[in-house]
Amino acid sequence: MRFTLNIWRQQGPNEQGRFVTYEARDVSPGMSFLEMLDSVNQGLIASGEEPVAFEQDCREGICGSCSLVINGIPHGPDRGITTCQLYMRRFSDRAVITIEPWRARAFPIIKDLVVDRRALDRIMQAGGYVSVNTGGAVDGNVLLIGKDRAETAMDAASCIGCGACVAACKNASAMLFVAAKVSHLALLPQGKPERTRRVSVMLEAMDQEGFGSCGNQSECEAVCPKNISVRFIAMLNREYLRAGVVESGLPAEPESPHAEST
Amino acid sequence: MTRLSNHVRSSVGGKVVMALSGLGLVFYVVIHMLGNLQIFEGAPTLNGYAAFLRDMPILLWIVRAGLLSLVVLHIVLAIRLTVRNRRARPVAYAARKYRQASFASRTMAVSGLLLALFILFHLLHLTAGVIDPLAIDRLDVEGHRDVYGKIVRAFQNPFIVVLYVVGQVGLGLHLNHAVTSSLQTLGLEYAAFNHLFKAAGPTVALLVVLGNIVIVLAVFLGIVHG
Repeated sequence: MRFTLNIWRQQGPNEQGRFVTYEARDVSPGMSFLEMLDSVNQGLIASGEEPVAFEQDCREGICGSCSLVINGIPHGPDRGITTCQLYMRRFSDRAVITIEPWRARAFPIIKDLVVDRRALDRIMQAGGYVSVNTGGAVDGNVLLIGKDRAETAMDAASCIGCGACVAACKNASAMLFVAAKVSHLALLPQGKPERTRRVSVMLEAMDQEGFGSCGNQSECEAVCPKNISVRFIAMLNREYLRAGVVESGLPAEPESPHAEST
Repeated sequence: MTRLSNHVRSSVGGKVVMALSGLGLVFYVVIHMLGNLQIFEGAPTLNGYAAFLRDMPILLWIVRAGLLSLVVLHIVLAIRLTVRNRRARPVAYAARKYRQASFASRTMAVSGLLLALFILFHLLHLTAGVIDPLAIDRLDVEGHRDVYGKIVRAFQNPFIVVLYVVGQVGLGLHLNHAVTSSLQTLGLEYAAFNHLFKAAGPTVALLVVLGNIVIVLAVFLGIVHG
């Protein structure tokens, strides 16, 4: 198979970027999208040009590193997969494929198709954790959790933090990401102690990072490689309303998450 | 208190206030439509209903002031959130495909603007009687303001009819996404009711638009006449 690729090339964060057209020849239908890019890069290296920078790691859909907007859809034309799980047989021969990075103010471009997604890490640092005390480990079966509740929490916990929800959102909002993290912990007894504070500080961090707000278009859900439902966004809104009226106990001043990371 | 005021200032807090003010306005729009449908019961009923409302000036002005503040709150927050949202993606995609975002959800700012202009026109036209000199209140035989006659005269004009129908399309488009979206923003989500929440927007939009357009067309086609 052969393809015409329009790839976004950008030397650095503050450089002007542009689309460059490349030909991908001798592509096997069994190649993954990233393997196809590897072979294009081999060609570029052989001809002395700089290869296209893109992010990848596990190549089995669980790390959340790969991040390409393929023909206008994050992670490409198939649902419920990451870019590395997309195969070239999905495209018709001689197709023109446009490849862009995630585009959001909170995700500045580092180079070509690589963006800085540390904004999501800083939201996690703000409150996406549970505090575990030292001492003897608690027996695993002491804390009973209903099967349904455990499954719902797992649905939320399956978020791999790739940021496709932000890339797909018209407003570049990270609501689905925050919703998955907040819901996951709010559903479980281990997350209860920090429940009220967590939702407030994580949403505050989201606003500070420059993400937009949710327009309830559900476009995030449609591109999520883990099929996380927008029902978790409703749960996030509910948690936030609850936190607005519920006293958290001591009026402690939380440290700014942004002070830690800089 | 600091917690609560912080919450209102955040993006989700702003959306909650927008949802509540929007639902308040939707409630008014439904009542307005139902009240106007009394035109089909004839002039005495509609004029009597109008007189009944006018007989309570304090309540009338409280409702008007409430509506105005809801509209102002809704528009100010809409502008604030839209500016924030536009800023969140400074460089647009070259290729952009939507998978499930509805047309209505992608045009909320445009349909909202259209709606605001239509409401302004509607108030100047039928409430204040500025635009159309024919649309002034005369008195009917019982000494009530002749709202029936005013409406019948106003919708003889095809330009006015077209403007009102276009305004109703804008209203329908806005409500189609607005009602369901508001419920989601308020965190209303429950497995057994989710299909009801999803259907709420299109249903309310359809009923309101149909109810209003039926009045305009019935007058224009001569089914309701003076």
